[in-house]
Amino acid sequence: MTSATPAIEVSGLTKVYGDVRAVDGIDLDVPTGSVFGFLGPNGAGKTTTLRIITGLAHASAGEVRILGRSITDPETSRSIGFLPDVPGFYPWMTAEEFLRFSGGLFGIAGSTLEKRVKGLLDLAGLSGVKTRVGGYSRGMKQRLGVAQALINAPEVLLLDEPTSALDPLGRKEVLDMLVELRGRTTVFFSTHILADVERVCDRVAILNHGTVVTQAGVDELRSRYSAHRLVIQVDRDQDALADDLRRQEWSSGVERNSDGGMAVTVTDLEAAQHGIPALVAARGLALRRLESGEIGLEEVFVDLVGGERR
Amino acid sequence: MRGFTQFLRKELTETFRTWRIWVLPGLLLFFALTSPVIAKMTPQLLESVASGQEGLQITIPEPTYLDSYSQWVKNLQQLVAIALLLTTGGIIAGERSSGTAVLVLTKPVSRSAFVIAKYLSHALLVIVSTLVGAFACWGTTYAVFGEAPVSRIVEPTAAWLAFALVLIAVMTAFSAGMKSLAAGGAGIGAFFAISILSLWGPALRYSPAGLAGAPSSLLMGENPALVWPLLTGALAVIALVGAAVLIFRRIEL
Repeated sequence: MTSATPAIEVSGLTKVYGDVRAVDGIDLDVPTGSVFGFLGPNGAGKTTTLRIITGLAHASAGEVRILGRSITDPETSRSIGFLPDVPGFYPWMTAEEFLRFSGGLFGIAGSTLEKRVKGLLDLAGLSGVKTRVGGYSRGMKQRLGVAQALINAPEVLLLDEPTSALDPLGRKEVLDMLVELRGRTTVFFSTHILADVERVCDRVAILNHGTVVTQAGVDELRSRYSAHRLVIQVDRDQDALADDLRRQEWSSGVERNSDGGMAVTVTDLEAAQHGIPALVAARGLALRRLESGEIGLEEVFVDLVGGERR
Repeated sequence: MRGFTQFLRKELTETFRTWRIWVLPGLLLFFALTSPVIAKMTPQLLESVASGQEGLQITIPEPTYLDSYSQWVKNLQQLVAIALLLTTGGIIAGERSSGTAVLVLTKPVSRSAFVIAKYLSHALLVIVSTLVGAFACWGTTYAVFGEAPVSRIVEPTAAWLAFALVLIAVMTAFSAGMKSLAAGGAGIGAFFAISILSLWGPALRYSPAGLAGAPSSLLMGENPALVWPLLTGALAVIALVGAAVLIFRRIEL
């Protein structure tokens, strides 16, 4: 395998349940060694996609390749680690026993297994915990879930909402761990927590209604969308100017900011840069601020998937 | 079959660490120890009932080891069979609903290894606990009656075990595609269907249904033709476990 081979390639993936297209022809390229965020609101199709990628569900159409191999290739499962959104453990086992069992399924034994089990128990903060898993809190189970997904030192780590059940400290620990894996392991994780994506991801795909709305590097995404948003502030008559702006062909939305200014989403940046000063001058207002807006991933996300909810 | 040995080891450990070790083995041991005592006490119990009723006289022949064995076989054919069906309803469905199957099957474990290990571990539990039960019943019968021919308990117990292995295969197939409760219900339905089918001559002679009533016949000293029921029973086990594998491969987790 070369680094040019994407760790995960998804092409035309479709999953239909009756009349519902849960996943609708999505394409994804996850570069080797990246931390890739799979972002989307609840019900967007993230878990379904992950279930297909891991072979737990069957695609209605399309193809998934992991490290260049088909997901039906028995060797593929040796290269991946997976944590489902709600991991199920045998309640009668301890964390150590579950990790040993998981390692055994990969054929790991002897001192290698001992070393990994010890290291992962430390990582999960479960060293010395003799309680059976049945008595664990959801956070403890989630941490054990991450640990078991790493038992085979996977080349590709697939995580479904790995931080959703964790407290802020637990979340930080898991995210720090993902950052540490960057470059060595390809991490693909689904989430609806935007802060997590901003914190650790190199690339992101945003999913909505089963389709990939956009797929890019996190910085690229920010700059792509910030270039199309202008922040304006004038000395008075903000409402009248806002109405003027809404009527322009190049304007696709105007929002009032809490600081007294307004954010204008534009379809033609050059036309807007010429048009805004002219509109301000026509009303006899003083232009106090005109700048490209700095926006976070949250605003990109809301722009891309939240429009229909507003 | 990727992951078979490791998963079977987990299944066997689970047997000893959970309720599994108590339910069927406990039930079998209970019936093994009480069957001889109940057989011995039955005349006295009936006598005490009759003594309170004027004019009622019950004559019961002196019980023998056969009454003890008969009690054991009856319990196997009815109560233990029902308990077996109910406890194996979740043989596969239980791991699906708890989410444990997801963590196992995203590792190098094939679905066929998963299903076959499930069948074998449950079959092993039933075989071992039935043999222990039969031994306990034989010992208690000897202690109570002073006579307990081994062959008279071994043959009916072995015939029941053959039938039990078919029942576990039926439950494995049901549980691969249904929820635990539905599989348990379907299993009981199948059990009664087989029992009714065994009343029909050709089914009795040539199908696994012939195994359903075989333990009682063997105990009574009859010599039922069991070659075809055993042969078709073995084929049914292979076909049902194979069907369970095919169903489970198609199931989405």
